Order: sequence, then structure tokens, then C-alpha cells
Amino acid sequence: LTAVVPNTLRLRDDQVTDGGCREDILANAPVAEHGFFAVPKVIE
Amino acid sequence: MTDLTSLSIAELRDGFRSGEFTAREIAEQYNSAVASARALNAYTVETPEDAIAAAEAADKARGSGGLGSLAGIPLGIKDLFATRGVDTTAGSRILQDFKPRYESTVTANLRNAGAGMLGKLNMDEFAMGSSNETSAYGPVISPWRRKDGGNAPLAPGGSSGGSSTAVSAGIAPGATGTDTGGSIRQPAAFTGICGIKPTYGRCSRWGIVSFASSLDQAGPMARTVRDCAILLEAMAGFDPKDSTSLDLPVPKWEAGLSSDLKGKRVGIPKEYRIDGVPADINALWDRGIEWLRDAGAEIVEISLPHTKYALPTYYIIAPAEASSNLARYDGVRYGLREEGVKTLDDMYAATRAAGFGAEVKRRIMIGTYVLSAGFYDAYFTKAQKVRSLIKRDFEQAFDKCDLILTPTAPSAAFALGDKSADPIAMYLNDVFAVPASLAGLPAMSVPGGLDGDGLPLGLQVIGRELDEQGVLNAGLAIEERAGFTAKPKRWW
Repeated sequence: LTAVVPNTLRLRDDQVTDGGCREDILANAPVAEHGFFAVPKVIE
Repeated sequence: MTDLTSLSIAELRDGFRSGEFTAREIAEQYNSAVASARALNAYTVETPEDAIAAAEAADKARGSGGLGSLAGIPLGIKDLFATRGVDTTAGSRILQDFKPRYESTVTANLRNAGAGMLGKLNMDEFAMGSSNETSAYGPVISPWRRKDGGNAPLAPGGSSGGSSTAVSAGIAPGATGTDTGGSIRQPAAFTGICGIKPTYGRCSRWGIVSFASSLDQAGPMARTVRDCAILLEAMAGFDPKDSTSLDLPVPKWEAGLSSDLKGKRVGIPKEYRIDGVPADINALWDRGIEWLRDAGAEIVEISLPHTKYALPTYYIIAPAEASSNLARYDGVRYGLREEGVKTLDDMYAATRAAGFGAEVKRRIMIGTYVLSAGFYDAYFTKAQKVRSLIKRDFEQAFDKCDLILTPTAPSAAFALGDKSADPIAMYLNDVFAVPASLAGLPAMSVPGGLDGDGLPLGLQVIGRELDEQGVLNAGLAIEERAGFTAKPKRWW
């Protein structure tokens, strides 16, 4: 079963449709620093 | 001043347009109704200012023409829909305080049609449950009570239990719901209201918190069939942001409503006569058959031979998709993060352990198991094959009939706590709802009557792919003949 209701995947023009919204993306982050998501230290 | 909360959406719309009352009066009456019914625990967030703002816009626009189809109508929104700037938690601790910076397509469509928002409605955590007891906010309590003199709090159904309670208690004229395996229809049946799940792909899933993506579908819950048609027309529509959205025009369902079923054949699936279903429900089913015959339909017996495999299939596919969808809750980008652990891995584990409830964890584990390398073919691939057979059952049945009539649920509302200790008993409550979900078909629950305890029972109409009109019309034929006017007696 590939699709429960027959449908075809659409093609669209290869254009940027999203982006430039760093603040929106970080707004809900539990911890954000310097414009990035912050996580516990990974590399010793 | 008339009690506007007792009117249907169609009556509110028409009264607002003719100037009988203002949108602001509607919003104010509903806002105070919402505030006076907190004992039901239906709303997780109240947004009276949103309802007032939309009402003021509607009042201003009246007279200048160009009113949206829902201008002046405030609605309740299930907490699964992303609403800009308003908490959207899917009833889970792991999304606490999450305020989306975007609006789901369905709620944006409703807003464009002029609707305001009364608040966000409580639900089973991530829509996983049939009683609303898995919500991190605690269960919604049904406005209905048995007439046995006891005051046992009853389940409003799930997962759209906040929606069903709000509509039946008169604290929303209509509400959005979502249905993965019965989450619109079963709560609608438990509370004596109407609810329709459209064909998979009619409503955009963009901005709806994902549970099982190949099954999830939004739909309206309201007091009448006509109101469902009005709401669904506003919610549905093609959305390029959802790759499974159907690129089709939205039919004029309300204008197409007709309870004349001449020339329609209604199938009665013999596999839905199962043991252990209360006599009241089978009796209502028989009455429903007579009502549709009276409306001009021809009744035929049909067979859906793989029905008994629907529930096991659903409980492989839905958890599998859920385990994959819910992998995103890792405490990094949004929602809860458990602090006080040293490493990143520990943070992931601690966050998910603290954020998810027991039922969600159970389904993530089931899903992860059936997708694991050694068991993938035995469970997931097999379930996909059986899903094809279930879909084929319906295709073959629709050679012989145009619509299918069944009960919505195998019981009336049960008491809170009755089934929460036994997940299988809870899953069985969706036995009549799940097959149509697996096949992606439009299906609706319409109230048919009360059982011996004075609790509402629903009838389900299932239609062909894209035949929401046929489903709504049969629903209307039932509604007209059932004469269901019972309302819960106010105790809250």
C-alpha cells in the first residue's frame, strides 16, 4: 500500500520558499545561544 | 436576550447576517459560557479576546458585503492544531508552553472564513486514547450522566473529548477534531453530537501535531449535520504544504444537502454484528436501517470479510508511524527539556521519560518493536498488506452499495477509570471506527437515540472515497427521523 487515496506527488519549481526566520525557529527552544540551539557539551 | 448558545451555527450565521443580533453578542455569551463551565475541564486555554476580536471584525464587515462563511461564529479548536502565539500542547507535558509561530492550514482557513477562537480544547495525549484520560491536563468530564442516580463521571470519548464535551455542553457551537482511528466519531457518539471525518487528504495536515500520518485527518464536530457541512467546507481545501493534500475543488456540501435517498443502496456489513455489543446498540442500528429505508434507500447486506483484522492492523500501523513521528521531541528545539543531566544522550532520555505519559510510551515502544530490523516484515509489512485487503473489502462492497451504515461504537459512554487499566478493552472501543480510517474513507457519526441509562448512542455512515455529500445526506436523513433533541442536564 503506497497511498490510501490515489494521489501523485507534485513537482514544483526549484525555488526557495521558506527561511530567514531564525528568531521564529529559536523562539521555543529551551536553550538558545548565539543564534543556535544549545545542548549539553558533546565533545570533551 | 435570547440564549445564543442554544442555536446552531446555521442559525447563528443567519441571525447575525439579518441583524437579529451582533457577532459581539454571540462571542460574549459564549465567552461567559466557557468561563462558567471549567468543571468540565474541556478547555486547556481560553482565548476570549480572540473571539471578541473576530466578532468585532465581523460586525464591522457586515453591511459592506464580502462576509466569510463563518463570520461571527466563534469555535473551539482541538489542542492538536498549531495556533499562532497560543499554547499548542497536544495534551502532552512534553509540549508544555509551546507557542507556535505559525498557524495550521485548517485553523487559518477557518479564520479566513471569519471564525474566531474561544480556546484550545483538551484531548488525549497526542490523540492516543478513547476516553480523554491520557491528557496531561487530566480528563475532560462528559456533561452527560447516567440516570441511575449515581454521579459517576463519564468519559466524553477520545481523543477529541474536549471538542465533544464543548459542543454538547453548549460552550462551543462547533469545534475542530482530528480522527486517526475514530477520534472524531466515537466522542461525537458518546456525547450526542455529529462529527465527520472526511476522505484522507481533504483537510491539510500542515500544522496539526502528527500522530500517524497515513491516518490522521481533521474534521468538524457540531450539533447538526448542516453545521458539520458548513464547517467542513471552510476547513477543507488543497494545500501545497501537505504532500498528501488532494488537489481538488471543495464541493458545496451545505447547498448539496438532501435527505432524499431514492436510488441509493445502503450496505449493512454482517461482520459488524459482533458478540458483547449491548442490545440497545443493535436495536438502534435496526431503527437506523428503517429510517434510511424510509428515506428511499434500498438496504442490502454486504460483507467486509477482513473486519476482524482491522484493529490488530491499526495497532501496528498507527504506533509504528507514531514512534517515528514522536522521535522529534528531544528537548532541543521546542517543548520540555530535563536539566540536571550531564550528557546529551542522558538529556534526550530524561526529557522523553519525563515528558511522555504512559500510553504514549506504550505506543512508541510497540511501534519501535514492529519497525525493528528483525520484526519489520513480520509485523509492519504484513500489516500494510492486510490494510490493502481491508481497503479492497470496501471497494468490493461499494460495487453493491453506495453507503454503509453501522453503529459508531460498541458501547455508550463508560465511566472514567473503567477501562484505563486495560489498554485492550480501551482499544476495542474503536472496533467499528478503525476500518474506515484504514481505508481513508469519509465517515460520520450522527446521534440516533438514548440507551436505557439515558446516554446517547451514535450511528455511523461510511461513504465512498470523496463522497462526503452522500455521507452527509444519509446523516441528514437519520437526523430528521431520529428527532434527537436530548441535552445533558446541567450539573457543572
